[in-house]
Amino acid sequence: MDFNFTDEQKMLRDSARGFCEKMSPMAFVLDMEEDEKGFTDDLWGGMAELGWTALIIPEEYGGIGLGFLDMIVLLEEMGRVCVPGPFFSTAIVGGLTILNAGNDDQKNELLPRVASGEIKLSLAHTEPGMTRYDPAYITVTAEASGENYVINGTKLFVSDAHVADYFICVARTSGMCSNKEGISLFLVDAKGAGVSVTPLKTLAGDKQFEVVFDQVSVTKDNVLGEIDGGWPVIELIMQYAAVGKCAEMVGGATKVLELALDYCHQRVQFGKPIGVFQAVQHHCANMAIALQGSKFITYKAGWLLDEGLPSTRITASAKAWVSEAYKKFVILGHQIFAGTGFMVEHEMPMYSRRARAAELAFGDANYYRQIVAGEIDL
Amino acid sequence: MNFGYTEEEEKFRERLNAFLDEELTEEIARQNWEDLGVGPEAREFSKKLYEAGFMGLPWPKEYGGQGLSPTYDFILIDELGKRWEAHVPLDVGYTMVGHTILRRGSDEQKQEFIPRIIRGEIEFGLGYTEPNAGSDLAGMMMKAEDKGDYFLINGQKTFNTESHYADYHWLAARTQNDPNTPKHKGITLFIVDQFAPGIDVRPMITMSGERTNEVYYDDVKVPKSRVVGEVNKGFYYMMEAIDSERNHVFVPARLWPMVDEMVSFAKETTYQGRPLAEDPAVRAKIAQMAIELEVAQMLADNARWLELNELPITMEPEITKVMISELEQRMVDDAMQILGLYGQLDENSKYVPIRGRIEWFWRHSFMPTIGAGTSEVGRNVIAQRGLGLPRG
Repeated sequence: MDFNFTDEQKMLRDSARGFCEKMSPMAFVLDMEEDEKGFTDDLWGGMAELGWTALIIPEEYGGIGLGFLDMIVLLEEMGRVCVPGPFFSTAIVGGLTILNAGNDDQKNELLPRVASGEIKLSLAHTEPGMTRYDPAYITVTAEASGENYVINGTKLFVSDAHVADYFICVARTSGMCSNKEGISLFLVDAKGAGVSVTPLKTLAGDKQFEVVFDQVSVTKDNVLGEIDGGWPVIELIMQYAAVGKCAEMVGGATKVLELALDYCHQRVQFGKPIGVFQAVQHHCANMAIALQGSKFITYKAGWLLDEGLPSTRITASAKAWVSEAYKKFVILGHQIFAGTGFMVEHEMPMYSRRARAAELAFGDANYYRQIVAGEIDL
Repeated sequence: MNFGYTEEEEKFRERLNAFLDEELTEEIARQNWEDLGVGPEAREFSKKLYEAGFMGLPWPKEYGGQGLSPTYDFILIDELGKRWEAHVPLDVGYTMVGHTILRRGSDEQKQEFIPRIIRGEIEFGLGYTEPNAGSDLAGMMMKAEDKGDYFLINGQKTFNTESHYADYHWLAARTQNDPNTPKHKGITLFIVDQFAPGIDVRPMITMSGERTNEVYYDDVKVPKSRVVGEVNKGFYYMMEAIDSERNHVFVPARLWPMVDEMVSFAKETTYQGRPLAEDPAVRAKIAQMAIELEVAQMLADNARWLELNELPITMEPEITKVMISELEQRMVDDAMQILGLYGQLDENSKYVPIRGRIEWFWRHSFMPTIGAGTSEVGRNVIAQRGLGLPRG
């Protein structure tokens, strides 16, 4: 057993921290929430230059070929300062889907462009009918028509759709809604005919969209993986995405605890710094418990994914636990900062709004508890 | 990072499980776990555990151990715990006292006690708490007077849980009463024969039917050879041991049997013609138990890893302690809710589910958040020692 990061991972962390703090101060993050695009070319170009978009893409496709634990290091740092932009959609969800589902031609064509930061991707997966998170609830259809497939239907909560070059559209090619078989993955030109993108205004000010596919025709070359065989890939990608979100939450929580502890030493009431009061100390202790547990279950999940060991139960446990732990964690943070933390320009709302968004992204605790139930033989 | 075990460690685990399949029963497990008193069956099991080669692997060779990684003891504790929450039968000696003797005891004490601890032959009862020294342990008043060749000890201990079956009393007593000396600098540790003249052990019965004890000392003579380490350093030895003790005593694996029992119950029990296991609310509750146990296991693994590698420890074992004790309460509450009316039945009732274990666990669950330090003191430790917040 070894809970240490490698020297390389520590270097990656240092360099990521420097870049993120420089490029993404709080004023920038809040500006980007209001900005239509939501990030700058400087920021995106900088990340690509540092090799982040190439980080987990194998060397044969122009990447660096590092593991998911390395990505976790990076995501923690991005989560610490809430770095905006389409990195998660492109370098993790999109890139890994192509890597795991694509044929040689597709991988050779697309992955080097993901690695270099040239293109951006977005997974068009969830749908309006999903009042509860259920990724098998797919009604968007793709019907064979000669050499092509024609896609129809509406996707919702599609991240970074406004800047994506390609969507990976999860569509039904056979079977009934909520049936896990009969689902296929299609690479769709985001600017192509019949695709329309409408922004959703969200709590965390992140960029999510409704994407309507109206008679969108794609060639058979653009099928990712086997027809009707998309589901196992989606299940795997969901695991990576869920653990990635956990890493962002861990990063955010680490920063919030640092800020809260500083405040406990500085803020004086009743003639004493508030950190001497047991009620406040116990809030901090509860934050530490939530954070330590979140960290290690996230690392364990990442390690299992890297090792190719059975990971469904632990990745599900991680997302279920971290989602709820971080949510409770930011409530304690707000109690410590009290009135000052309720102000729009304070750090606390920036983190607590994101805690809520991250809880929902790629499945909340309710969803993953049902997955874990299946895994413990219920 | 690596969260796996070595091949040798996994082989040890396999051999151990084959042994436990044959030798461990629920009756033996309950003798220690419920502090009913370790009877002949559990003492016999204890010796077999040693003879089969599962005890003492991490302990020094010169005292009968094998000098290997402490991981082997953690595997032993985990695998026992997964079966009816079993412990090493004489575990106060094996997981707590023995380590302090190794660290601070004299050569004679090591020779006398360590081999017998490893062989599973002797047990110690912890003699710390007093009626007026609970969370404020350094305020203990039990008096040990230096009489030249021996110490003369008088006073009262309470909540000394093993004293009715232990062979020795691991006693902390006051040897310095100077009002100008801080109270934690006047405490000494002693190894006292449990059956020495002047010791009176009286039962106290808990709400979960366990026996603990009051122990009275009336002019008990303890030879100086039984002082552990230096006089007046006892409190320091207790505190330096506490992290390792937490690592050995707060063991998430012991709660897995409850999850397994609840999974079986949910599959075998129907409501309105359908198994409870198909009810999403029931599934969510049981899954949450498994999720929190995995998190607790990672906290424990991290704290153990720090200990194994002699890395700085501040709050990590305390975090495991607070988490696991409160998790037990959440788990048992959910389990009680799933059992419904049947959850209140005594283990001897003809209608009782899961052999009454959940009903017992609920009664027991008030102890872990109090024993070995309350959750409140634990949170103070986390905040002050771990996070650097000031003492009030």
